[in-house]
Amino acid sequence: MSATTLSLLLILAGGLFVTGFFGLLARRAILFQLISLELMLAGPALAFLAGGAFHGSQQGQGMFVLIVILAAAEVALGLALYLALGRVADVEDSDTITRLRH
Amino acid sequence: MLSPYLLLLLVPSPPLAVFLILGLDPFFLRRKAVQALALLGGIAPLLVMLPLLGICLGSECHGVVPIFTLVFGQAEVALALLLDPMSALVGVTVAGVGAMVMVYAIDYMSDARIADLRRFFALMNLFLAAMLTMVLAGDTITFFFGWELMGLCSFFLIAYNTSLPQAVAAGRKAFIITRFADAFLLAGLLLLFLEANSVRLDVLIPAGATMTEERHVVIALLILGGALGKSAQVPFHTWLPSAMAGPTPVSALLHSATMVAAGAFMLARFSPIVMSEPAVQMIAALFGVGTAAFGALSAVFQSDVKRLLAYSSISQIGFMVLAVGVGAPAVAIGHFVVHAMFKSLLFLAAGDITHGSDLGTSMAAMRGAVRRRPVAYTAYVAGAASLAGVPFITAGWWSKEAVLSAAWNSGAFGIAVWTLALLTAVCTAVYAFRPVFEALLPEPEHVSRARHGHPVMLDLHFRSRVGSGFIVIPLVVLATGSILGGVLVAPIIRFLGGEFPHAAPLPALLAGLAPFVGLVGAALLTFVPSLAAAVAGARDMRRPTRLDRKFQRWVIEPYVRLVRWLSRDRRSPLTEDERDERQVQLVRWLSRGARMDGIYQALFVRPFVNLVRWLNGHRGGTVDPVGNLPVTFVLQTVQAIVTPLAHDRFDRFWMRFANRLVRLWVLARAIQTGRSRDYALGAAFGTAALLVIAWGTTWN
Repeated sequence: MSATTLSLLLILAGGLFVTGFFGLLARRAILFQLISLELMLAGPALAFLAGGAFHGSQQGQGMFVLIVILAAAEVALGLALYLALGRVADVEDSDTITRLRH
Repeated sequence: MLSPYLLLLLVPSPPLAVFLILGLDPFFLRRKAVQALALLGGIAPLLVMLPLLGICLGSECHGVVPIFTLVFGQAEVALALLLDPMSALVGVTVAGVGAMVMVYAIDYMSDARIADLRRFFALMNLFLAAMLTMVLAGDTITFFFGWELMGLCSFFLIAYNTSLPQAVAAGRKAFIITRFADAFLLAGLLLLFLEANSVRLDVLIPAGATMTEERHVVIALLILGGALGKSAQVPFHTWLPSAMAGPTPVSALLHSATMVAAGAFMLARFSPIVMSEPAVQMIAALFGVGTAAFGALSAVFQSDVKRLLAYSSISQIGFMVLAVGVGAPAVAIGHFVVHAMFKSLLFLAAGDITHGSDLGTSMAAMRGAVRRRPVAYTAYVAGAASLAGVPFITAGWWSKEAVLSAAWNSGAFGIAVWTLALLTAVCTAVYAFRPVFEALLPEPEHVSRARHGHPVMLDLHFRSRVGSGFIVIPLVVLATGSILGGVLVAPIIRFLGGEFPHAAPLPALLAGLAPFVGLVGAALLTFVPSLAAAVAGARDMRRPTRLDRKFQRWVIEPYVRLVRWLSRDRRSPLTEDERDERQVQLVRWLSRGARMDGIYQALFVRPFVNLVRWLNGHRGGTVDPVGNLPVTFVLQTVQAIVTPLAHDRFDRFWMRFANRLVRLWVLARAIQTGRSRDYALGAAFGTAALLVIAWGTTWN
């Protein structure tokens, strides 16, 4: 892999992260926020893969697997919260959940 | 090659599995399924434990099943299960009593709602699994794991009835007090680990026993402290009587096979360490016999059967600690086994008799049991006879005789201890037979009907409940064990590598007479009305006239004493009134567990509550002590600085600053919107700032 490919991949990874982050801030529906979080995780995962491939080491793949597992765990938790919140708040608008404050 | 010891792994796993299934309930189990699973988890360990004991009886038994090993530098953390004579014997006892209690609980808890039932049996199974893990542990980590898990389960089970505030409070109390003692144990175990560089019991205990440094005394004392706390011995005894708020099967399991008994087992397990230090051994013997006497005296003056049995456990475990203290751990385990049988029997029988009574678990609820519940009553009598130690025909006598003889044989100090233990044995018989005689009295029909205007329906239900097989079988099995188990005591002691102690004929005769003296005492306390009333009423006696009494005590009595002293009549006998008053005071003091609760309240709880209240501010507006702390601090500092100053510009500036401060705080509070998106933005800005700082510091 050449250095150019690596930079391209890293730019793509950064783009994924920023897209996800923008989604997290701009969207109000909790489900979309969760999807955005997944996008945010995909960015660094890709970056690790690219870096690992560039240096010829398996550690990048190892980190990738870790991130995928983390993402799965996080989405399980997030969906459970989503379901639980459905009862107490309007799940189409995350701003209605301000119980954390009290 | 497959070793038979691999079976050890199968001992705690069935109840653990049942706990997981019932706790998670993935199949939406019905009532019958929950009960079947609970039975499975309760009985399976016994079925596995019995062949293991068979192996131990047949040949040399010392099997270790390693689980996994971690290596830290030079130290090795090797987790394992261990089978040796002690763990095999105690394991069988625990599994057997656990199975009986579980069978009994099926019927006892059949009225509970399905969700409560699931929670109850899940926790009972976890409780059993934790105790078995602890008993079979081959290393201190597994040991401590089971030990702590048991503390957690006892908290949940004592507070089982979550709608009752005092049950929740009792659970919390048990949790906190035993945790306090657990800290001692943990410290002792860690010091031992540093000494032996291994967590394996078979390496650790010999290393601890042969150690010569001063640390040895500390370790032995710490281990003793841990055992005293878990077993509710004297300074830590306050949690056990309140723990009676839990359901009866919980009490039976808690007192006979888990938790409370765990302390005695632990002390016997680590006895080589305690026994290699004569001073600590003497302390253990003193604590043991002191607790035994105190528990027995307190039990005599209880008016509630369950509380009576709770104090009885405190007292009997005192006997076990005493046995370790006089250097006979095998005898302690012998008493442990017998005690497990008769104590669970007493709890189960008393629970069956008083179940559904309007009078709760008070002594009066036992009345009329002879005709109402003949099986349970007979079982109770068998248990009481064993507890009192009626000579030759009960198992309790053999094990208690062994403890007494071991004390007698251990020198001059031992004889002093033996005397106190003998008096305790008399008291034991008194309190053991009080409910038995009480049950012979006629049923208090008018009481149960008139109380709170309960409909007669409940009364009928109470009377017509017929004991099902689930209740009768455990009672019969345990009663048989409590009576005929005596033949096993000497073999058990030999099996554990000890010698059945034989005392001289005279002390043996005295010990044999003790239960009969107690029997007479119990009959007197029950059937002589004035005595019975004195015991029953001692708790509440003179409550209305307390003010008068205080006046009497602080004003008149000192004056009388002064006059007497001045007239040089210093040895004049006490007046009748004074003697009476002293007796009432003593009985009240004993029936409340030496008022240790009140002392703890005043020493530890109230100062803490006051501190929190003070931090909350006097107006009590905000429930945020930590948030208030800096503001209170700054305001008070400002006050302290400002007050001595005159009214000048400087002064006003400070005052304004102090006023602003609260507003600034309100502003800072507004940052916390509670919206996840705002927090995400904040986190992003923070990360960006950190990145910029990192970039700036590494710039070259």
